[in-house]
Amino acid sequence: MMAERRALLLIGSPRGIGHSTSDRLGGRVLDVLKEHGFLTEKLHVHAAMASPQELESALAVIGAADMVILSLPLYVDSFPAPVIAFLEQIAERRIGAGRARLFVIIQCGFPEKEQNATALAIAERFAAEAGWSWLGGVGLGEAEWQHKDVARALAPVAEAIANGTAIPQSVLRKAMPAWLYRFGGNIMWRLAARKHHATRSLRARPYAE
Amino acid sequence: MNAVVLDGARGTECRGALAALQQALAEAGHTTEVIPLRERTIAPCRGCFGCWVTTAGECVIDDAGRQVARAIARCDLLVYLTPVTFGGVSSELKKAVDRMLPDILPFFARVNGETHHHWRYQKSPRLMGLGVLPRPDREAENIFKTLIERNALNLNAPRTAAAVVTPESDLRATAAALAKAVT
Ligand SMILES: Cc1cc2nc3c(=O)[nH]c(=O)nc-3n(C[C@H](O)[C@H](O)[C@H](O)COP(=O)(O)O)c2cc1C
Repeated sequence: MMAERRALLLIGSPRGIGHSTSDRLGGRVLDVLKEHGFLTEKLHVHAAMASPQELESALAVIGAADMVILSLPLYVDSFPAPVIAFLEQIAERRIGAGRARLFVIIQCGFPEKEQNATALAIAERFAAEAGWSWLGGVGLGEAEWQHKDVARALAPVAEAIANGTAIPQSVLRKAMPAWLYRFGGNIMWRLAARKHHATRSLRARPYAE
Repeated sequence: MNAVVLDGARGTECRGALAALQQALAEAGHTTEVIPLRERTIAPCRGCFGCWVTTAGECVIDDAGRQVARAIARCDLLVYLTPVTFGGVSSELKKAVDRMLPDILPFFARVNGETHHHWRYQKSPRLMGLGVLPRPDREAENIFKTLIERNALNLNAPRTAAAVVTPESDLRATAAALAKAVT
């Protein structure tokens, strides 16, 4: 009998499980891995970094995983701080070295998926320094606006991960031109502020001298 | 100019670089505030966008992250000092950088043919990055320099410069060159 293979979805958004785009997208990939017989589990990085005990149990889960899907939002061209802190621990302690394989999904608020390139390079460097094998990654733009499409488009990527075949290049179509995205986005921020009766203070400068 | 150094060291690895940096900034005529981030309790950004749509330019979390955002809003030169971590910045530095979001406006703008945001205040700071590595590593250095350039675009920084030092580097010369490049 084939040994059980364990796949772990690491969610690197503070919004966590059930509330983040990172979970929705990573969850889709995890579902496919489950269909392929992987034992699957989800772990929220921010929760793991909340206390030393949580960290130790999270690192134990990582140490037992064969496949790690790290799904996270782009934060200032890189990863949210707790994700970096978690990866620092993994690399320093060689957790999963020589065993874990890493696939990364990075999605950002801007429409251009190319903006994820630096963060993808950082993820690949992490894999090299931690002794993990690098399966690759996808960078997605404007994912929050079209996440149903994106989730569907991730299916062939997930199939390739499960089968150990070459990961297809993204088959995503652009949802809308960047100028329209900016235009619509600016209206969206105003509407969001109106809900909080904060439209007038949108441009406030509380720290101006 | 008024410089704010975000010191993202996790231990003593950036000590020499910080001393050289302080001297170079002083010689270039800047007043400098150093914020040792590992001594500050700064909760992670919650990704709620409250600082954009509810509390207008201030984070909903009341901790030292607010003081960092205020210092950045008021400075002319923002300096990242960090051990180069997987080519990027350390978790200590990043916990402050993520909490800088209140200083940025929600509205999208086109910058260099890409979508970015405008800075909330009249003037964006210039951005300097000084990374510290235990040994020369061209790949990590390239990622780091690209990251600083990308961050400068996101902050609309009018000028930017980055360098990586190792124990073999001439710290004083590197810091002086960086200070010159952003002055
Ligand atoms: C602190 C912070 C920094 C961000 N930085 C960027 C950025 O540099 N580029 C970008 O395109 N989006 C940026 N975003 C937007 C998020 O990447 C985007 O909203 C993402 O879809 C959130 O995913 P989640 O629901 O999984 O948290 C940032 C958001 C926050 C809160």
